Amino acid sequence: MAVASIPQGAHEEVDQLYAETRELRLQGFLLFLISDCVLFSSFIFAYLYLRSSGQGWPPPGIQRLDVAFAAWNSVVLFGSGATMHYALENWKHGNFMKYMGMLIATIILGAMFLGGQGYEYTHLIYGEHVSWAGSGIFGASFFTLTGMHGFHVFMGVCYLTVLLLQSAGGVYTKEKYFGITAGTLYWHFVDVIWVVLFSIFYLL
Amino acid sequence: MNLVLLERFGAIIGGIVVGFVAFYALYKDWKTPGVENQVFKVMLLLLGVGAVVALLAGLGILGSFGKAA
Repeated sequence: MAVASIPQGAHEEVDQLYAETRELRLQGFLLFLISDCVLFSSFIFAYLYLRSSGQGWPPPGIQRLDVAFAAWNSVVLFGSGATMHYALENWKHGNFMKYMGMLIATIILGAMFLGGQGYEYTHLIYGEHVSWAGSGIFGASFFTLTGMHGFHVFMGVCYLTVLLLQSAGGVYTKEKYFGITAGTLYWHFVDVIWVVLFSIFYLL
Repeated sequence: MNLVLLERFGAIIGGIVVGFVAFYALYKDWKTPGVENQVFKVMLLLLGVGAVVALLAGLGILGSFGKAA
């Protein structure tokens, strides 16, 4: 089977197209993050409203959440935000090995956070007998919001793993790296959402 | 040393390190132009705030420890 040859100048056209559409893609990605922010906000405000209209918090029969473990797990996630930021910085400066190291550290820290969340869920469900459907507003809102966030972290870990493979395969260059920028933005977004969730569920 | 103390110690050390890194990165990137860099600055600021919140939680200033309702 004959393979269509790439015409002369096609790479230049691709480069030009990339330069022309980069801002557009950035705006599209930011719109996606804003829509995700609206989704989380609606659940957060619903939770706060329901919590403020109830009698005491946590409801009778349910113990306070473990702040010490959550603080440690939060630091793990925030640390991954810092490593991701420096991964992007190293890519911009052409330090490929440092970039790969930071990206791998981000993936490991993200997976550690998910492991911590799994541990906490197990403890709550089997130790404290708190469940999504059987513990009223508290259980429903806690598992819905943290579960939704955990799903975002999981998708982020998958995305970063794809980025790692793509980077190793030479998909990105020093000039064309929008995928890495988008990954960093997404990961920061996931971190920022956790700042809010950690504050309202564990500290308020 | 019990597990809770170890977690609190980890939160304090991690909060200091991550907070410092986030605010230092923000300071370094403060004058960079462009839409994405403005977003990154906001994100770094919130990341730094999150690290401080985790640090204060580790110190026991925010939130209450233990299992008492």
